[in-house]
Amino acid sequence: MVKHLIIKTFVILGMFGMAYSVQAADPVKIGFSIPKTGMFASAGPSQLNAYLLWQDLVNAKGGLDIGGKGRRKIEFVQYDDKSNPAQAAKIYEKLITNDKVDLVVAPWGTPHHFAVAPVVERHKFPLVGNTAASVALRKVKPGYLWFTSSMMPDNVAKAMTAMLKSRGVKSVAILYNLLPFASENIQFLKPALAKAGIKIHFEAKYPPDIKDMTGMLIKVKAKNPDAVLVHSYPGDSILYMNQAREVGINAKTQYVMVGPAIGFFRGMFKSNLDGIITMGSWAPGMKGTTGSQKFYTAYKKKFKGHEPDYLDTVEVYASVQILEQAIAKVGLNREKIRNAINTMTFKTIYGDVKFNGVQNGSTPSGFTQIQKGKIEVVWPKSRATAPVADKGAWAN
Amino acid sequence: MDSLLSPQLLAAAMITGVLYALISLGLNLVYGTMRLLNVAHGDLVMIGAYVAFIAFSLLNIGPLVSMFGAALICGFLGWLSYKCVFQRLLSNGQLLSRLEENSLLLFFALSVIIQNLAILFFSADRRGYEYLSAIVEIGDVRLTGARLTVLIVGAVISAAVVFFLRFSLFGLAMNALIQNRDASAIVGINVDRVQMSSLIFGFGITGLAGALISMMEPISPVMGFPYTMSAFVIIILGGLGNLWGGFLAGLLLGVLEVYGVALTGPEWRSVLVYGIFVLILIFRPQGLLGSGKTAR
Repeated sequence: MVKHLIIKTFVILGMFGMAYSVQAADPVKIGFSIPKTGMFASAGPSQLNAYLLWQDLVNAKGGLDIGGKGRRKIEFVQYDDKSNPAQAAKIYEKLITNDKVDLVVAPWGTPHHFAVAPVVERHKFPLVGNTAASVALRKVKPGYLWFTSSMMPDNVAKAMTAMLKSRGVKSVAILYNLLPFASENIQFLKPALAKAGIKIHFEAKYPPDIKDMTGMLIKVKAKNPDAVLVHSYPGDSILYMNQAREVGINAKTQYVMVGPAIGFFRGMFKSNLDGIITMGSWAPGMKGTTGSQKFYTAYKKKFKGHEPDYLDTVEVYASVQILEQAIAKVGLNREKIRNAINTMTFKTIYGDVKFNGVQNGSTPSGFTQIQKGKIEVVWPKSRATAPVADKGAWAN
Repeated sequence: MDSLLSPQLLAAAMITGVLYALISLGLNLVYGTMRLLNVAHGDLVMIGAYVAFIAFSLLNIGPLVSMFGAALICGFLGWLSYKCVFQRLLSNGQLLSRLEENSLLLFFALSVIIQNLAILFFSADRRGYEYLSAIVEIGDVRLTGARLTVLIVGAVISAAVVFFLRFSLFGLAMNALIQNRDASAIVGINVDRVQMSSLIFGFGITGLAGALISMMEPISPVMGFPYTMSAFVIIILGGLGNLWGGFLAGLLLGVLEVYGVALTGPEWRSVLVYGIFVLILIFRPQGLLGSGKTAR
């Protein structure tokens, strides 16, 4: 009797212990670096918000489905990389070797992806990239890194040229920020334009900390090109928007690369943004996407009515959906995850994604345009929610 | 070359210059009177910008009104930091000998605290609002209402502050302190009071500048650092603690930047701005209007 009691007690205690140990080891630790300070700090939230929303939504379901063998909640381990790519590389090394994370998700921006690529390759940690695209990286080292972005500079250049041709554009002015992604876009855009017979009437590059564009824009106006293509980031996009109106740039095609799809930007310029074309190929609820309207609604609910960035946030969220679906298929074995990412087709808010090598082979490069305050996908025609419209006169 | 004669370019240069002058004023005052290296200067710009943003988006109060609220709030922070930290630092002979190094560390800590509190309260997301966005035409010059307002208000306030400090009794006391702290005390100037007022005044002006900047640029908790950098370049160019020098250096830098870029190309901006900075440091380390004497 006593023996039975002791055995039962041990069995019960053992069960509690097992339950406790499973619960204690339960969360899947996922690490990343994020620019919370420094030059790119204000760009970080577009990415971080997507990660946080994903964590909320997945954990509300009970956690990540681990290869059909139960669910485990997500726990993030994150560090500020101070907008410094070298710091990001150190952080990923620390996350993998010291914090012993199960998986990693992407840092922000192309230079940071360049920096962490050797780390994830060396440790064989699959990393589904976002907010970055580089033909250079694609050529150098395919392996454990993929780009969710459909905005590979060579593909963007082809799409841009095709769109300009469809609008009868014969001449352009190009202004571009010296940061890598913008510069690489120009590297591919110029030959594509030459091949299409579109003349470059004016070209200028500028540093990221530019404070005034008036001098450049006066020269652009004097050349009177059919289209003005500004490869800019939010800060310099704002400079362009203010000073192009002052100088009186009235080209019917005006492209501002990054900024117009972000909520705060639209709050600053409202109807003056009508007709501006920007980088992106997504709108909530668009055909071919899975759960994009649900994502949009959940984002607005979590972030007090603010809209997601139609470019970065969407791409980031799709990248973690890819990881989530790979884990659901094969569990947490990183080599199996790598194979799954290479071979599976993923249903995301961005549309179906299948990787061709390291790049998103399914989603075409495209552009959105603000039309009557709403963001419409205008290129490519196969994804378009509205045709490209002329940029009319500035609202005021 | 024709673009160099454009009045539009002149207006752009004046806006950039006035903004530089206004931003550097507070830093110059704080450094001049107390030798405090305020590396949290740009964070005060950020606080001012958030005050204006909140006043506009929640209370529908425009930045031309709320800029005074921003000045008051930042001025209060100046008073608080003086009473809590710097009064003791400035009155202790031993600590006074390492004042610049200590203040650098203290303000760095303050900067981190302010930024993190701002992220906590407002999130790191950028914010912006539309205010006076319509184009105003004056002859051949076309400016958004917001930029024109910044030009006028910035110029008036910068000039008023510089004149006040040059010609009012209190301003003269501040100038005396800038020139020689010990002699100021000997001739009966209440050094403690002037120091406290300088910090309040310097912080307040910077907060006001932040409110004006919010009319043109997006705001975020980490927006301050570039303003800190610009302000340091300007006060070194003008002569540390020399308010007129700082004002003129701000204008000069604006003109140099806008015309220099128009003449050479935007990719030369950093070379031009920091090239002049290095040249001044080599050939005239006391700054454009600095006397070359150190009376400490």
